[in-house]
Amino acid sequence: MNTTVRNAPAPAAVAARSYKSAHRRGLTASLKEHALAYLFLAPSIVIFGLFLLYPLVKSVYLSFFLTDPRGKIAAYVGLDNFRQLLGSAQFWNSLEVTGKFVLLTVPGGLALGLIMAALAHSRLKGMRLFQFIFSLPLAVSVSTSAVIWMMLFHPTLGMFNYFLDLAGLPAVQWLTDSRWALISISVMTIWMNSGFNFIVLLSGLQGIPEDMYDSAKVDGAGSIRTFIRIILPLLSPTLFFLLIVSVIGSFQAFGQMHILTKGGPAGSTEVFVYSIYKEAFVNYQFGTGSAMAIILFLLILALTLIQFTILEKKVHYQ
Amino acid sequence: MKPKPFKLKRSFLLITILLLSMLASACGGAGGNSGTGTGGEASASNAAGSGSAKSGGNAAPAGKTKVVWWHSMGGELGTAADQLVADFNASQDKVEVEAIFQGTYDESLNKMKASMDSKSGPSLIQVYEIGSRFMIDSGAITPVQQFIDAENYDLSHLEENIMNYYTFDGKQYSMPFNTSNPILYYNKDLFKAAGLDPDKAPATYEELKKAAEALSKNGAPASFAIYGWFMEQFFANQGAEYVDNGNGRSAAATQSLVNEEAGVKTLEWWKSLIDSQAAINLGRKTDDTKKAFVAGQVSMTLDSTAGLRGIVDSVGDKFEVGTAFLPKPDGSSDGGVIIGGASLWVLNNKPEEEQQAAWEFIKFLAEPQTQAKWHIATGYFPITKKAYDEQIVKDNLAKYPQFQTAVDQLHASKPSLATQGAVMGVFPEARQIVESAIEEALDGSKSTKQALDDAAKAITDKIGNYNKTVKK
Repeated sequence: MNTTVRNAPAPAAVAARSYKSAHRRGLTASLKEHALAYLFLAPSIVIFGLFLLYPLVKSVYLSFFLTDPRGKIAAYVGLDNFRQLLGSAQFWNSLEVTGKFVLLTVPGGLALGLIMAALAHSRLKGMRLFQFIFSLPLAVSVSTSAVIWMMLFHPTLGMFNYFLDLAGLPAVQWLTDSRWALISISVMTIWMNSGFNFIVLLSGLQGIPEDMYDSAKVDGAGSIRTFIRIILPLLSPTLFFLLIVSVIGSFQAFGQMHILTKGGPAGSTEVFVYSIYKEAFVNYQFGTGSAMAIILFLLILALTLIQFTILEKKVHYQ
Repeated sequence: MKPKPFKLKRSFLLITILLLSMLASACGGAGGNSGTGTGGEASASNAAGSGSAKSGGNAAPAGKTKVVWWHSMGGELGTAADQLVADFNASQDKVEVEAIFQGTYDESLNKMKASMDSKSGPSLIQVYEIGSRFMIDSGAITPVQQFIDAENYDLSHLEENIMNYYTFDGKQYSMPFNTSNPILYYNKDLFKAAGLDPDKAPATYEELKKAAEALSKNGAPASFAIYGWFMEQFFANQGAEYVDNGNGRSAAATQSLVNEEAGVKTLEWWKSLIDSQAAINLGRKTDDTKKAFVAGQVSMTLDSTAGLRGIVDSVGDKFEVGTAFLPKPDGSSDGGVIIGGASLWVLNNKPEEEQQAAWEFIKFLAEPQTQAKWHIATGYFPITKKAYDEQIVKDNLAKYPQFQTAVDQLHASKPSLATQGAVMGVFPEARQIVESAIEEALDGSKSTKQALDDAAKAITDKIGNYNKTVKK
């Protein structure tokens, strides 16, 4: 079958040839156009290749090796890095911690952003000021807010324990008690993410046409009913976007763990990215670090695909 | 109409070419970084290195060789270090030292790793004691033994047990600068209030527990930071080795011994303090326990002698600070403390002239007068015995008898492989793993033995990987 196709004067080729001769001038013009397009694209392709594609390929390559104390390739180990990872308790622990962290921060961050957006969307006086205040966390960098919260969480000098003391409650070791550390960091992260969620959700709310509310009111729907039956469905594309972005963001959270707990106590806040950082840039094991990075990449890819295939069906585009 | 788009195209082309060439040069730099040769690059960098030193913004005055010194002395320690540098720069006209604070020991070491193949690294770096094996294996340093041999520098006036730590295979690799050991700090006023003898500090685990229980009834428990260094010290204080093969000194270590009896005994005692609320857990930062101690919220704590000056100064007249030896289990008579702190390493990718200049600075820092000033400003003990003959040291000891504790503890330590200190290339990671194990045991998520067994296994695995990558 194949050979006949190859040997026969393919009609398509003939057609192309006649097309070519007929439109030679047009073709060279379009070729030129293509070349120009690629020329314009070249900078971004080069940057993409250099900073995304090359590191990705290099990571895959490095994941088959061990590196020496200076981070240079020292020994080929095949799939040993992956095998060792899958057998290490630390790896599974960091996956579990990451999962918990996502579950703690994503719904909380979305809910807080939604509440603030709903509040700021009302026409009350002075709301512009609140819109400003609510979006402030966005303007503060992770490291800055981590340092601020570190002071709030401080075991003996912190404000939280001061208030607990005033209320006659025992002090909580916010960051040094393994039962509390992840919760403390999650609270801080929710606050930090609320700014972005708030802005996106507020603009989503403002995108809902006024007459929707009016007709709901005319039909006698209460505010809760309006919210659930009208606003939420209309906001669902926005919420879906935020969900994807927040999940990816939570998987990549690093700064707050690095500054507040360094993954401790007892690995209770050692999220996956922090393990990668430790493995690669503290321990200088780029091989195992790369193996972990690849696993993280695949994990996020899978999760995003799942969200797109399953959840997107529930999204209502107007 | 025609020339216009052509012009546009050309300018775009120009911009693109410019961008590409910029990227290409960045790429070239990166390629150089990942290259392998060290010797070749070192000699190639010679000319550029000294050239940039002279043309740089804060370049040394003409004729002076510039030495860039990375250190990790923050706060009051940093002020003291800067003073020493100023003294040195004023003392002669050949060498100019520029001191750069690079964050904690961990941070500084990581920055050095990242800079190793470029010219932006330091000529001299302060590295904590547990980074020694890594520094040697990295092949990036010139052992100070070379300078010592070249001029027959006399080492006999230096403290033997300090020099011992940095001696590997009979060779001096780095020069100690700031050395410390852990001591017990206690609040004498709180001792009196609890009916304890303020002049008799607890010396054993059992005594410390009894004292802590009495003190905690008055609302001021003990608190030790979860710091892996303390565990290492508790091992040495029982004469126990931390890794196999003679603490990694007779041959490369292959196995962690952290789950041996010495570790279990120590962690169980620590846990019993927490469980009975005789001690509270304030986390890994010694800075937090130090603050709580200074504020009088904590009656006893462990800390390095390096913190002595800071603690004595910030406590002021609030209460009387007592210092004592690191406690040990009852009936344990062997051992002693390992010297901690850091030493100075000369990097080999700088011109010889610059390395020699770094050595001049090292010699200055080791002088009795310098060490005496450093000692009273910080609490680190002098690395040279002659420093004790300096008047300022005598005056200081008379005024602050607390400074004597660390010195006595150093001299009371029995020389052995245990007190010489463990050596392994993955020490910084091992320390983190042990800290995690202590946390797991203290918060009850694992039994003491289980936590230590898991830690030992994890460290042994890391050592195995490391040994695979280091060819002897």
